[in-house]
Amino acid sequence: MKLFTRYNHVNLTSTFITFVVGSIAFYFVLDYVLTNQLDRGLYVEQTEVLDFVKVHNRQPEALTTRHQWTEISPATMLIKHPKPTTTEAFNKIENENEHVRQLVFTITADDKFYKVWVNQSKTETEDLLQLILLVIVGMIAFMLLSNYLINRNLVTSILKPFYTTIATIKGYKLSGKKPLQLPREQLDELDLLNVSLNTMSDRIHQDYHALKTFTENASHEMQTPLAVIRSKVESLLQHAEGSEVITQQLLVIEDATLKLSKLHQSLLLLTKLENRQFELNEQVNLAQIIKSKLEERDELITERGLILTIAIDDVSLSFHQHLAEIMINNLLNNVIRYTPLHGTVDIRLQADCLSIKNYAADGPLNAEKVFNRFYKEAQSAESTGLGLAIVKEVCTLAGFVIQYQYTLHEHEFSVYFKPEHK
Amino acid sequence: MLNKYKPQFANLLPILQNYFRINHLFCTANQPILKILIIEDEATLNQSMVEFLTTAGYLCESVFSYIAALEKIDYHSYDCIVLDIMLPGGSGLNLLNYLKLDKKADSIIIVSARGALEDKIEGLQLGADDYLTKPFHLAELSVRIATIIRRKIFNGQSVVIAGEIQIDTNSKSVTIQNKLVELTQKEFQLLLFLAINRNRILSKNAIAQHLWGDDMDFPVNYDFIYSHIKNLRKKIIASGGEDCIKSMYGEGYKMLLP
Repeated sequence: MKLFTRYNHVNLTSTFITFVVGSIAFYFVLDYVLTNQLDRGLYVEQTEVLDFVKVHNRQPEALTTRHQWTEISPATMLIKHPKPTTTEAFNKIENENEHVRQLVFTITADDKFYKVWVNQSKTETEDLLQLILLVIVGMIAFMLLSNYLINRNLVTSILKPFYTTIATIKGYKLSGKKPLQLPREQLDELDLLNVSLNTMSDRIHQDYHALKTFTENASHEMQTPLAVIRSKVESLLQHAEGSEVITQQLLVIEDATLKLSKLHQSLLLLTKLENRQFELNEQVNLAQIIKSKLEERDELITERGLILTIAIDDVSLSFHQHLAEIMINNLLNNVIRYTPLHGTVDIRLQADCLSIKNYAADGPLNAEKVFNRFYKEAQSAESTGLGLAIVKEVCTLAGFVIQYQYTLHEHEFSVYFKPEHK
Repeated sequence: MLNKYKPQFANLLPILQNYFRINHLFCTANQPILKILIIEDEATLNQSMVEFLTTAGYLCESVFSYIAALEKIDYHSYDCIVLDIMLPGGSGLNLLNYLKLDKKADSIIIVSARGALEDKIEGLQLGADDYLTKPFHLAELSVRIATIIRRKIFNGQSVVIAGEIQIDTNSKSVTIQNKLVELTQKEFQLLLFLAINRNRILSKNAIAQHLWGDDMDFPVNYDFIYSHIKNLRKKIIASGGEDCIKSMYGEGYKMLLP
């Protein structure tokens, strides 16, 4: 529920209830006041009649106006405490029955009892009440409407910077060059929000870049000594001619430096993937990449006598060219490395899935750990153990799902490009 | 004042050495001596490159810092500059910018520890001719420099001559005693790599990386390199060439040629 809807709900309900209760109370108060006024008129008339009787000692004439009329008739009983009541009486002038306020009392003139009815018409009072009620209802309606409109505009305009802030945060990328820069706001609360977010983003940005720089520098700084080792090995190799033992040992050192340097590059790549330092907005033709990568490995495949079955549809994805190459590279490297001599390899590329199967000599891999870093099967000590971890990270970044399955002496790695449609 | 000229005296020896040596890289008449400036702050690596490239017939000068490099670039021109990016005193990319703004014709090859694609693209966009990621094989550096120089200085007209073998890098054809030898693309690359780094032992690692690049994951045994070498040797012998490729205990190869 939106803030405005919720606020409006509460606001309108409470306003409505207040006005209804208020108008009912108002009605009764007004009714009471007006009736009181009529009653006072009745008492004034009573006093006049009594005064007249006292002076003239006879029955007064019955006065009749549009609003007030008096009726006198002989009576037998004395009314001790006369009180006004509301009732109906016939108005001769208007010629109709009307609601009236009536006071009945007795007088004594010429030693006779007379009963006097004084009537005050309530029509006017009722008309007035009706009018007042109408005005009140109109006012309530107007009040509610204006309240709704004002609130809607006000809340919307107040919340506008809030939505701008949200949109900015949503579009923000940590790997960007600048930290979050939200503008100052006039409203204290929103200003506080923006300032706090800016501060937080500043700190995160700094930490992130410090870590990123450290990782990159650490990795790069190690490449130079490795280059030194490698160049010295190469020089030594020229001097070691004639000694097989030394040559072989130098080459072991060379292999080790090569591996170390690859390891660093892989770890650096993994860090970059985790930091989401790649934009996935290039149109990448996967089929072409697979074909060219297979072509590059032609000698290796022939050398190992692998039997390839390839069924590749022309598939293009919105992805990152270099990452796509790395993904395909690592998957193919694995297949070529681990398929036994003369084994079968089956590569299928469809619009939603890439599947690479290869013949397995040694039973299933540990499906849970196979994508872990530095996970190695016992017999493959020379691999870095990062290839599949990188593939997994690339897939995670791109929103793909990668799965490992073992069926009928075959390893199968499948990458689903649109996992939600699976 | 005297100090300033000291490096040139120090370089006199290799100049003289080179002067009397037949440069074996490019056998055109009046072969000029090619000058290379090596800008690399890691002294031992710098020294290794100087040694290697001097043996390959180049005249090398080396500097270790940004300022020194700037001075050298200002006063001299080089056929090729080997440039490290992270230098004390400034970025190699600034030097690259400076060279390009000054419209100097020096070819530039970047050697950097930064191997990310963006870094390579940045370097090449700024006008570098090639980009080599550390750690690299010196043999690989030598081939890259030879390629750049062939392309730039000889306008791609160059023929690499190794003994009786003539390798035309333009038409990708090889002739031995004027007889055309049919080679596959990989065999051609392999022959060129061996010829440019002749008389040096090249490890299988170096060969594999040159032929297939860094991305490939190589199996333990490089038997496929052996088969390429075997085919190449067969073809050379069949064309009447000398069997000049020697195996070093099956771990590396060497082309023995004058």
